[in-house]
Amino acid sequence: MLKCDFCGRHAVYNRRYAGVFLCDRCIIKSVERRFRRAMGKYKLVSPGERVAVAVSGGKDSVTCMHLLADHCERKNCELIAVTVDEGIKGYRDRSMSIVRENAKLLDIEHFAVSFRKTFGATLDQIAMLAKRKKTGLNPCTYCGVMRRSLLNQAARELGVDKLSTAHNLDDEVQAIMLNYVRADFSRLYRLGPGYPSREGFVPRIKPLREIPEKEVAVYALLKGIKVHLGVCPYAGGIHTEIRDFLNQLETNHPNSKFMILRMFDRMKPHLARSVPEFELCECKICGEPTSSGMCKSCELLREFGLGLKRKTIISGKSR
Amino acid sequence: MELGKTLVRVRITGQKVARKVGVVKKTKIADLLKQLGLNRETVVVKLNGKIVTEDERLSDGDSVEILPIVTGG
Ligand SMILES: [Zn+2]
Ligand SMILES: [Zn+2]
Repeated sequence: MLKCDFCGRHAVYNRRYAGVFLCDRCIIKSVERRFRRAMGKYKLVSPGERVAVAVSGGKDSVTCMHLLADHCERKNCELIAVTVDEGIKGYRDRSMSIVRENAKLLDIEHFAVSFRKTFGATLDQIAMLAKRKKTGLNPCTYCGVMRRSLLNQAARELGVDKLSTAHNLDDEVQAIMLNYVRADFSRLYRLGPGYPSREGFVPRIKPLREIPEKEVAVYALLKGIKVHLGVCPYAGGIHTEIRDFLNQLETNHPNSKFMILRMFDRMKPHLARSVPEFELCECKICGEPTSSGMCKSCELLREFGLGLKRKTIISGKSR
Repeated sequence: MELGKTLVRVRITGQKVARKVGVVKKTKIADLLKQLGLNRETVVVKLNGKIVTEDERLSDGDSVEILPIVTGG
């Protein structure tokens, strides 16, 4: 059996990009240290703040919730959890109960918001409509835009100072590549460990941004954190191709993911002067901040005669 | 069985059935993954019930559990 390079115990993980083997204890310590380092280095949360964490039930978000719960307790912050129920049959319904279980275990207040209640249709229904109307957009596009909008509305209504998502290193590098491939300059520019506050937008933080997906998974397994391991039925398309490409690259050339991230972070300050300044106004339909008269979410939904049904989206809460 | 080959039991979490896979003696788990068309970045592997690195070598009668970790969403 291979040994940990730090303490000699049985190794559970080969951190190939650093050339070291780690045992269960050392990988747990290392992941927690990296989480704290990101929190400190980018000043993601200040003492006394109220923080919401978006939790889907998957390994990344549940792990993020556990790490944040511990951090918030030390820093005297208040943590709440929000789950978006997109309405994906056989997928989200199962993960929702796992979120509730974890929130209860950590004694965190948990709120659920849903596509059906807010927009008048589940993602399953929207996917069907999109197919029938031949919009040429895949369900992930709708889901991403709507989820983003809904999370922001929920975070604002809940009066939080920060909204944490669980994007890990792999997610972030995939987003960098995707925006390259799509030549989407403004989306590319917005990527980073934290998204600064602008009127109407709750600042976002990504404390797992420098932790590889596999390390999050190993951490969750070793800590015995209960997570949902189902695969989203809509996964596919260019996102998956980019993910597979990056994983192949990393396997053959360890450290590639970190290099892409570091290079982007170095370039970002230089991009600032090329980003067009734009004014934010309220979407005339839902009131969410947007640079044009109508937000992306309302624009996508208008085609189906759908839209925001209510101003207040948070109904009951579960604890 | 072929000379120099070894049989291991492989189960992918989420799939009901385990299968027997023949590999060259002392093959690394990493090579077994390649043989199965899986990327090491996307799985965590247990060997005889313990989480291990993909650099461990397999011997006859070993039981390998492969847990896919990339779920999306
Ligand atoms: Zn160790
Ligand atoms: Zn709108």
